[in-house]
Amino acid sequence: MIELRNVTLKYGEKIILDKVSIEVKDNTIKAILGPSGVGKSTILKLMLGLIKPNSGQVFVDGVDITNFKEPDLYPIRRKMGIVFQGNALFDSLTIGQNFSFFLRENLRLPEDEIERRVCEQIKFAGLEGYEDQLPESLSGGMRKRVAIGRALIFNPKMILFDEPTAGLDPVSSRKILNLITDLRNHNGLGAVFVTHIIDDVFAIADRVAVLYKGKFIFDDVTEKLHESDHPFIRSILSDKILEI
Amino acid sequence: MPLTYIRNLVDRTILQLKEFLLIMQEFFYFSVRAFTTMPKLKKYWRDFLDQATICGADSIPIVLVSSISIGSLLAIEVGNLLEDFGAKTMLGRSTALSVIRELGPLLMGLMLSARYGSRNGAELGAMKISEQIDALRAFGTDPVAKLVMPRLAAALVMFIPLTALADFSGLQAAALMAQHYHKIDPGIFWNAVYPRLVAKDFVVGFLKAPVFAIIITLVSSFNGFSARGGTAGVGKSTIKGIVVSSGLVLIANFYVSKIVLENM
Repeated sequence: MIELRNVTLKYGEKIILDKVSIEVKDNTIKAILGPSGVGKSTILKLMLGLIKPNSGQVFVDGVDITNFKEPDLYPIRRKMGIVFQGNALFDSLTIGQNFSFFLRENLRLPEDEIERRVCEQIKFAGLEGYEDQLPESLSGGMRKRVAIGRALIFNPKMILFDEPTAGLDPVSSRKILNLITDLRNHNGLGAVFVTHIIDDVFAIADRVAVLYKGKFIFDDVTEKLHESDHPFIRSILSDKILEI
Repeated sequence: MPLTYIRNLVDRTILQLKEFLLIMQEFFYFSVRAFTTMPKLKKYWRDFLDQATICGADSIPIVLVSSISIGSLLAIEVGNLLEDFGAKTMLGRSTALSVIRELGPLLMGLMLSARYGSRNGAELGAMKISEQIDALRAFGTDPVAKLVMPRLAAALVMFIPLTALADFSGLQAAALMAQHYHKIDPGIFWNAVYPRLVAKDFVVGFLKAPVFAIIITLVSSFNGFSARGGTAGVGKSTIKGIVVSSGLVLIANFYVSKIVLENM
């Protein structure tokens, strides 16, 4: 379980997040919806401890990680996987090496175990035969699947997605969304995904939190979003895609 | 009106000073982190070897070109000057001192600042912009240990032989110019070099190699890690890295010479 409690974050004098609180339970898919540049991706980075809040606390499995030092955060971060918006694949490494990189870095596993896990993830991502290719030679959807496979390499309990369908065609977007649902249904994996596409939220999210002007204006089960009378939510429900 | 202008100016200056101090603090922590992760060199020995090839073997041509050209030019100009005083036989001595103490290491430093520093800045900047550095942290790998420490260790190891190479090739070029341009016998040239060089001359020259290695690697890597603002941001951070490291190399060159020559 991940929790942000009264978190405030400023960049210089500008307040990005203003005393926000959010909770993500295991085995649920939670969406964070909001317009571009509102601080949605920042929330994922706070959850991983990649950035520290100016005030407030971040809890992972009940442990306050707010003031953890970098080396102490590594085991915490391995409980979660993250899929960055641009995938953040290592462009000088092959697909196979992208999968094996963190296993070799962080776990002392025998070579055959590494190979077994890499094969498993390549099969999961449906990328058999692409092991020796560089990421640049893959399509956007394939790269996204590599990034998801890489995020699963440590068998995390939760996976964080930053705009998982941004820049993908409708078919690839649908595949990625189905993959997130399958991971929850078959592997019991919780997910947090930030998005500005409201259709994605209704497609897969159990719960949704709407971020607007540095605060959450809604945080409940997805179905209840229709009942909200907040003007911003009403406007996004009619416009469907938030482009601010 | 003037009061408001002055107040705004003071506020802006204070803000810029604060930002500068904050960057200096971050740079200090970044540098300390790069050194304290040195024990992990065994784990990252492949990265070390890659970087040693990039800053060492691959830099040989540029170091040779710069040292040979400056050695030749020095021999011609200094030879002409000494000829006026009838002291052409001292050409070897004066050239050797200039090359070994100052020009060999300095040129090597400036060339590597441009070559190795720009590569570091651009590569790490691109990794920062594409969130690859965040990915390293997110999956439990220390990016400074993985990306900066091997670069620093490789530069510390490779800059010393590169300095020796710059000295050797610069002096050989000067000797050739002395022989063919000034018609000085090679025996006379080298006789003015070897017996008169003392330990201090080599200490001054070779102490600069690790100092430049630290400056170039840490400044360029820090700027890469601080890149933001897309591809234009990578360009900006790379340029900043080269300009700052080149300036610091020139300043360090002066102070190392001054401190060693005054104390040995």
